[in-house]
Amino acid sequence: MLVRETATSVSVSINGRQHDFEVEPHETLAEVLRERLGLTGTKIGCNRGDCGACTVLLDGEAILSCLSLAIQCHGKTVITIEGLENPQTGELDPVQQAFVENFGVQCGYCIPGIVLSARALLDEKAQPTEEEIREGIQGNICRCTGYQQIVESIQAASRQPKSANAGGIADTGGASGQSNTDADNTQSKKGAE
Amino acid sequence: MRTIGTSPPILEARDKVTGRAKYVDDMQADLFVKIVGSRHPHAHIRGIDITAAMQMEGVAAILTHENVPQRLINFGTHRPSLAIDRHVRHLGDYVAAIAATSEAVAEEARRAIRVEYDVRPAVFDPEEALQPAAPKLYPEGNNFCAAVDLPPHQSIPESRQEWGDVEEGFRLADVIVEHRLDIGSQAHAAIEPHVCMACWEGDQLIIWSATHTPTELHANAAEYFDLPLKQVVVLSHHVGGGFGGKYTGRYQYLVCLLARQLPGKRVRLTLSREETQCYARRPRAKLYARLGATRCGVITAIHFSGLFDVGAYGTFFSGNNNFHHEGGILTYKTAHARFEAKNVHTNHFRSECMRSVQMPYLAFAVETVVELAAEKLGMDPTEFRLKNMPTTGDMMPPTEYTHNYGDYPQARLDLFPAAHMLEQVKGKIGWAEKWKGLGQPYHSDGPRRRGIGLAYCMGYGGFIAESGTTAAVRINPDGTAIAYSSVQELGQGINTTLCMLVSEALGLPLDKVSIVAGDTRSGQGDPFNARSSHQLAMCGHILLQAVEKARQKLRNWIASSLRVNPREVVIEGDQYWLERDTSQKFPLWEFVGTLKSPVTGRAEGAPLHVHPFVKPGYKAHQPMIMAAEVEVDTETGEVKPMKIVAGMFPGRMINPGVVRGQAIGGATQTLGMALWEHVGFDEDSLTYLNRDFTDYRVPRALDMPAIETVLVEQVDLESLPHEGLPYGGRASGEMSAWGAVAIANAVHNATGVRVSESPLTAEAVLRALNREARRDAGSEADREAVR
Repeated sequence: MLVRETATSVSVSINGRQHDFEVEPHETLAEVLRERLGLTGTKIGCNRGDCGACTVLLDGEAILSCLSLAIQCHGKTVITIEGLENPQTGELDPVQQAFVENFGVQCGYCIPGIVLSARALLDEKAQPTEEEIREGIQGNICRCTGYQQIVESIQAASRQPKSANAGGIADTGGASGQSNTDADNTQSKKGAE
Repeated sequence: MRTIGTSPPILEARDKVTGRAKYVDDMQADLFVKIVGSRHPHAHIRGIDITAAMQMEGVAAILTHENVPQRLINFGTHRPSLAIDRHVRHLGDYVAAIAATSEAVAEEARRAIRVEYDVRPAVFDPEEALQPAAPKLYPEGNNFCAAVDLPPHQSIPESRQEWGDVEEGFRLADVIVEHRLDIGSQAHAAIEPHVCMACWEGDQLIIWSATHTPTELHANAAEYFDLPLKQVVVLSHHVGGGFGGKYTGRYQYLVCLLARQLPGKRVRLTLSREETQCYARRPRAKLYARLGATRCGVITAIHFSGLFDVGAYGTFFSGNNNFHHEGGILTYKTAHARFEAKNVHTNHFRSECMRSVQMPYLAFAVETVVELAAEKLGMDPTEFRLKNMPTTGDMMPPTEYTHNYGDYPQARLDLFPAAHMLEQVKGKIGWAEKWKGLGQPYHSDGPRRRGIGLAYCMGYGGFIAESGTTAAVRINPDGTAIAYSSVQELGQGINTTLCMLVSEALGLPLDKVSIVAGDTRSGQGDPFNARSSHQLAMCGHILLQAVEKARQKLRNWIASSLRVNPREVVIEGDQYWLERDTSQKFPLWEFVGTLKSPVTGRAEGAPLHVHPFVKPGYKAHQPMIMAAEVEVDTETGEVKPMKIVAGMFPGRMINPGVVRGQAIGGATQTLGMALWEHVGFDEDSLTYLNRDFTDYRVPRALDMPAIETVLVEQVDLESLPHEGLPYGGRASGEMSAWGAVAIANAVHNATGVRVSESPLTAEAVLRALNREARRDAGSEADREAVR
């Protein structure tokens, strides 16, 4: 059914672990994250780059994983919402913590994407203005909150020192080349691959 | 108060910010469903060929009108329908459903299905649909009220309420104004697309669904599949937003029917964004309002009439007055009033209520004619409103608002601080400085004009129906408590709010209380679930009754241990004492620890008990007042919202952070309704024009002005917590979503031009400005001619 001849090997660091995949040229990063790795924190709200729910960090930059082909991620580092906590302590990233405390979350479907957009923004500019915060999440639609408590959450996070781990994972071994080959681990939610 | 009034985070927040919260689309599934939708808005299927599709590797089952049961599915708010009908009534109406081993295979099979249609003429406008020669969607025609195959709860001959003699009221008036409006159809646009998964395990049907109404799905699925209720399970733990768009629908039954052919397999349908946007929407409506008042500004009569396009399968819920919870229509004191609504089928996809049934429409029409009347009378429109608003203790008019459930006696308003709220909202929008008269901007800069506007409406406090609502609580000897409820969490924080009620009632820290909800196996039910903003008021009230029953058992145990009469034992919060000796109080939870077994309490609403009193003879209602400041570019017609003030009356805020979030979120949706959001349809190409977020404009972060809130707290101490409103808390989920007309009124004041349609897009505003300019030019020419 699906053409497999064109599969290409890619090697991607995802949340600090190295993953090697055989991917089809049409496979998106979002599909790989959700269906092969079960990283379902990355949400699909529109699957065409409008809503921002699928936002992840690619080499530290917020990108839309539904519009990014997996093969484009070869040799790069991906952080999803699951990779934002400190894996040792379970401590939340200051952005996540601020969303919890400031009612930045209602239904939550857009939240992983917005948290990652905010993380990328704060990594680029530690103390953004309100206008800059709104620009930073302009690509993310939230239907519940009206954004105000989200903006307040990001402002609160910007007042917190960035944790050692936040957005980085550099200290978990992933970047030092520890590899975990997932080539055989292609058990998919869409079992017919 | 220990817990109530604090703002702990919502219980699900941590799981949601870490991606751990599993929504239905995040779960493991075995088979994936795609739907073949009709290519024509109105047709009969002449033939369907699934042979090629069935032979494809990976295709597990296909449903068509030929192999689904020939019985109607009952719904709460969807017209009873076949799962797939040979008669298709809108673009995308179900023609076939395919289950396959992957979405890609299902998609390929979808393309391989051949359908032949007998195309019929279609009708898209509700007025045209009522004409005798209009194409008929149903044998009896397109007037929903005349439908013959409706279940009792949907069967209402005519949606009309009136009191006094409206014509007499207009005869008494010195000033009469009237207006017509065309209200566009906003889509619910939750970020989580509609999704349902089902699995038949032996003789048990398990449904995972993102829905407002698991109890309804549970009951109706059991009925449809001839299963006892005990063999159907509905699970709905995390729902990615609803706003009225995720009640039960036929797609859930397609999934269950496919799964029935594939025992043991988890079969899932996730609609695409495009399918979700064209699944349901707020009804488009044509409204008319007429208002009469005396010279000194007393309203003598109000007449509201609405024509609601409920699409092919929408129901009375979409535009109904009778179900109107006596809200809205009682906004102003008047001896003579008539409110009527007609729901009409067209060849559009169905409509569904959105953050209130009809209130945003009613407010839009009435708050327009209120402004027109104030203008004619030369009054400040806020003074005019103030003069006609009811207040605490006022007798409400003798409406027949619940005539579909039986008569109800006349009642008084328990608390109604509308005047106080009006003052606060006016203060926050800067009425004293910025109000320059109706149709007068307060600031002009080149083509840009700034103005402010305001609107007021009444709602029903969430205290609307307890019939069928059940709740339970389990008090554990380890010092924890578990609440069991059938409230449906959609992100509005109801699980947290209910836990806070239990925490307060039992004097337990909040982290010692948990809740079981979103699971019909909890044994609890609620025919409304997340509907009508009633969960805090009604489910909370029933839950507190359950706590009281558990407390009564504790009282008995304490009494037997102390060898006294239970009536002598007083329990309050985390302490108990003997009535005769208040000097010695004992820690309740130490006693609970000695019991070694849990104590439970369970309560249920009285059958057929709707619109109950909060105390004898009194009902709970709420004012809503919204003010807006806008800047209009008169060259382009573009409206820029500058500020919104949302005034609500939550009674007592159980969790102020949650209430504020509801107020701001609702105001944001009403802003979208007012300015940008409408599902466009092109009748020539037969295409919905904005089925995605590229073309359908929901408010984004930079679109939003500052939203300030006025959240008035006032509690009637005579109303006991477990009998009336829970600790005085009232609904807060919908009210700020009714204020779209405040933005329209602000546009009028900025430009002097009234736009009689919504949304007030740049095009609509420019059209109105140009029309006004032509009228001015015309009258100028007339004057020239006279000279």
